[in-house]
Amino acid sequence: MRTVQHIPLGLVGYGEARKIQRELHRLVRAGLVEDVVLSLEHPPVITLGRGANPRHILADPEFLREQGIALIPSERGGDVTYHGPGQLVLYPILDLRRYRKDIRWYVRSLEEVMLRTAWDYGVSAIRIPGRPGVWVEGRKLGAVGVYVRSWVTLHGMSFNVDPMPDGFSYIVPCGIYGAGSTSLARELGGRVALDEVRGRMLDHFARVFGVRLREASLAELKEAVG
Amino acid sequence: MADIVVPPLGDVEEVKVVRWLHDVGDEVQAGEAVAEVEAEKATFVIEAPVHGRLFAILVPEGRTAAPGDVIGKIEEEGG
Repeated sequence: MRTVQHIPLGLVGYGEARKIQRELHRLVRAGLVEDVVLSLEHPPVITLGRGANPRHILADPEFLREQGIALIPSERGGDVTYHGPGQLVLYPILDLRRYRKDIRWYVRSLEEVMLRTAWDYGVSAIRIPGRPGVWVEGRKLGAVGVYVRSWVTLHGMSFNVDPMPDGFSYIVPCGIYGAGSTSLARELGGRVALDEVRGRMLDHFARVFGVRLREASLAELKEAVG
Repeated sequence: MADIVVPPLGDVEEVKVVRWLHDVGDEVQAGEAVAEVEAEKATFVIEAPVHGRLFAILVPEGRTAAPGDVIGKIEEEGG
């Protein structure tokens, strides 16, 4: 069974996380390290994917600045999205040549990880054809946005465990008007421990991709490369 | 003249060209990123098949293409 190194990063800025991903992408692509999955949370940020329509940011840029919410263009696929504390982000850096060279399969697999995690908590999340991500009664619970170069992936998925509910009111998530967002905590009507959700999500990740996870640190990984 | 082709992406029938990373006339190295296409919330990078100059963009940004389609041409350097 293939091993994927899980690197927990905690709270890390979008730009910093992107730098880390690019470096790891280079190493995975060159075959110098095994596949990686990063788990993290971002400080509040609105990102614009390659398909983004700036009109899907509803809040005034000045207001967002005052709130300390950065606006960052991103090379990932998709429209506008919000990230913030309480939202669990997984960025897998996988060489898809070792799995399946199929973009749709990869996106569906990320969705599957989030669906199974939601189901663990009794939340009946589903897919909606033509709207990648996972949904609960038309509200978005988890988003997907991926970047693939030389069949090695960057970016990934964000799952709303218990984020600041205001965050999503600043945007039209994924450019779909009237869809709205939700979180696991909101669906359950109470708080959920992020660490526990992370554990379950990683278990599902391992099962869906048929891999074994080994926890590693960034320093450890860099040391191994020399 | 070498073709820039949308490769097979698995179970994907249509992509949107979201970005050309060079202008016509620019020099590109073999393996350098030349364009990005998007399908299913995934951006896929298309790399130059050969070293040369970007000669033509056949599918501009915002338009769709299918795997197997030629979206641009590269004039090989010295070829």
